[in-house]
Amino acid sequence: MSVRFVGVDKSYGPVRALQSLDLEVYDGELLVLVGPSGCGKSTSLRLIAGLEQPTSGRVYVDDADVTDLRPHRRDVAMVFQDLALYPHMTVRDNVAFGPRIRREPAEAARSRVDRTLSQLGIDGAADRYPDQLSGGQRQRVALARAMVREPRIYLMDEPLSDLDAQLRLRARAEIVELHRAIGATTVYVTHDQAEAMTMGDRIAVLVDGRLHQVGTPAQVYDEPADVTVAGFLGSPPMNLVPGGGVLGGEPDTIVGVRPEDLHVHAEAAAGQPAARVSVVESLGSESVLLLRCDDGTRLAARTPPRSPHLPGDVLGLSVERSHVFGHDDGLRREDWG
Amino acid sequence: MREVVSTLRQAQDIARSTTRRRGSGDRSAWAFLAPYAIATLLLVLVPALLTFRYAFTDFTGLGSAGFNGLDNLRRLVDDPFFAASLRASAIHVAVAVPLRLFVAVGLALLLAAPRRGGRWYRVAVYLPTVVPDIALALLFLWVLNPIYGPLNQVLGAVGLPQPTWLATTWGARSGVILMLLFPIGEAFLVALATRRSLNARLYEAAALDGCSPRMQLRHITLPLMAPVLLLLAVRDTALLLQVSFVPAYLLTDGGPGNATLYLPIYIYDQAFEFLGFGYSAMLTLVLLAITLVVIALQLLVVRRWRILQ
Repeated sequence: MSVRFVGVDKSYGPVRALQSLDLEVYDGELLVLVGPSGCGKSTSLRLIAGLEQPTSGRVYVDDADVTDLRPHRRDVAMVFQDLALYPHMTVRDNVAFGPRIRREPAEAARSRVDRTLSQLGIDGAADRYPDQLSGGQRQRVALARAMVREPRIYLMDEPLSDLDAQLRLRARAEIVELHRAIGATTVYVTHDQAEAMTMGDRIAVLVDGRLHQVGTPAQVYDEPADVTVAGFLGSPPMNLVPGGGVLGGEPDTIVGVRPEDLHVHAEAAAGQPAARVSVVESLGSESVLLLRCDDGTRLAARTPPRSPHLPGDVLGLSVERSHVFGHDDGLRREDWG
Repeated sequence: MREVVSTLRQAQDIARSTTRRRGSGDRSAWAFLAPYAIATLLLVLVPALLTFRYAFTDFTGLGSAGFNGLDNLRRLVDDPFFAASLRASAIHVAVAVPLRLFVAVGLALLLAAPRRGGRWYRVAVYLPTVVPDIALALLFLWVLNPIYGPLNQVLGAVGLPQPTWLATTWGARSGVILMLLFPIGEAFLVALATRRSLNARLYEAAALDGCSPRMQLRHITLPLMAPVLLLLAVRDTALLLQVSFVPAYLLTDGGPGNATLYLPIYIYDQAFEFLGFGYSAMLTLVLLAITLVVIALQLLVVRRWRILQ
């Protein structure tokens, strides 16, 4: 099942949450909608679910216009950010609630509920209530509630945001595995770029209600469509310097260099820009040097772990690969360097 | 060094003045509390303790109180008016509590969602609660008047029978309950706040599963509100057993034929009309015991319910 937004606008009073969104989610893919808080990504998900109506534009599933269809007629299942488990029902009742409401034959529904619970490893907790579960178990119950429906489309709204870092890594991998096994179209919303890069078949970057770029994680990272995407993805983000500055370039451009493409040398060669180390961040597997050039430009460079450089050292800089964006429109112009 | 010492001194001064201020604050707090504390002591605690003592005497309110053991309790067992009074109170509570709860919660659920002018409807529901009991009772004497009362005029206009209300057993009982359906503001507010605190995502998850509003009410709203509803029921039971005195006294004075002779009215009659302070003290203890038993039963149910978030 593919999902298509055609010219979708959504406003809440004077706030424009989405502006003329055109986006297609391909059949069977896992598309990650990523962007900072309030960029409209959850709104997009709610529009697919039918929990919101667009102010203008249409939403299609395959070729059928579902814009005016009630939520339960769309055959989608959603995992909410706060998981939205029914606190007064046991795990089993939570998962069985949908089939019961849809008056599915009891025997078939029960065996599907049991199968889903054991598939996700929560059959041992079937008779417990949500407040008796760990964060990871609760997240699985929410997933089970979606899976038991066997929907055409899965919608996930930051379902891992309440988990601690370790658990989140594991849950991330499990969701990708499940998606591969089930093969249903999935739209996954997150503000966490690492989650987006590792999970998505494709990533759609939304900022301030506008879609800036859609592509594979590698495409979006290596060829950002504009300065907004370049500045959003990557940690630390891309160094963006007005053209004609320390990174060179034409005056009407912005030159971008990823921290891993900026190399430092103990001695500055002739004609090479130089910068003073202001902070060394040791992250274990790598170090990040925060640098300050003579003209005040701040840069970040990624280096191997156990960097020999200390704050105050003056280092030479060389650029392996840079990106050029228009100064006025912020759009990508070409690769350079 | 000198700066450090002077800073320390300043800190000590500040600490001292705060302590002083707190001390005087305590005193003024007590001063504000005193009138209420004294009134509670004199008007509630002392009479309550005296009630325990008088319950086992033949005190008439005049002269001295002679100890008479369990005579009052024995008299109570054979007292047909007590039986009638107990019956009237039981019917009153059994009908009025669920009805009042139904109206309060129903209105709360209807008015919980934000809508144009919703604030005014909510104010309208709460307003009768701030009207004094006496004013409301006098108003209902007019509302329930069988000849020129507006209620019967409306009933007559739409072709329904016009009962004589306060002149018949069930008419009087219904009239009192009808009046008590208006001062429900507190339960309404509690139910409104509870409904609004329920997670909206639960309803969206249910909507995705095809849950109709009626099913949402049955499977989500009511179960999640149940502990609060039970507590409201407990509170209303205690309230209606004990505080239905003013409206019933003014509307019906226990009549017709003891139909609305609720326990508080019978207790009042015994004490102040028949000067049976000793006997009415025993009746009061029985009312207290009944109230405690009913509340204990309801709390047992609440405790068995899962305490939710």
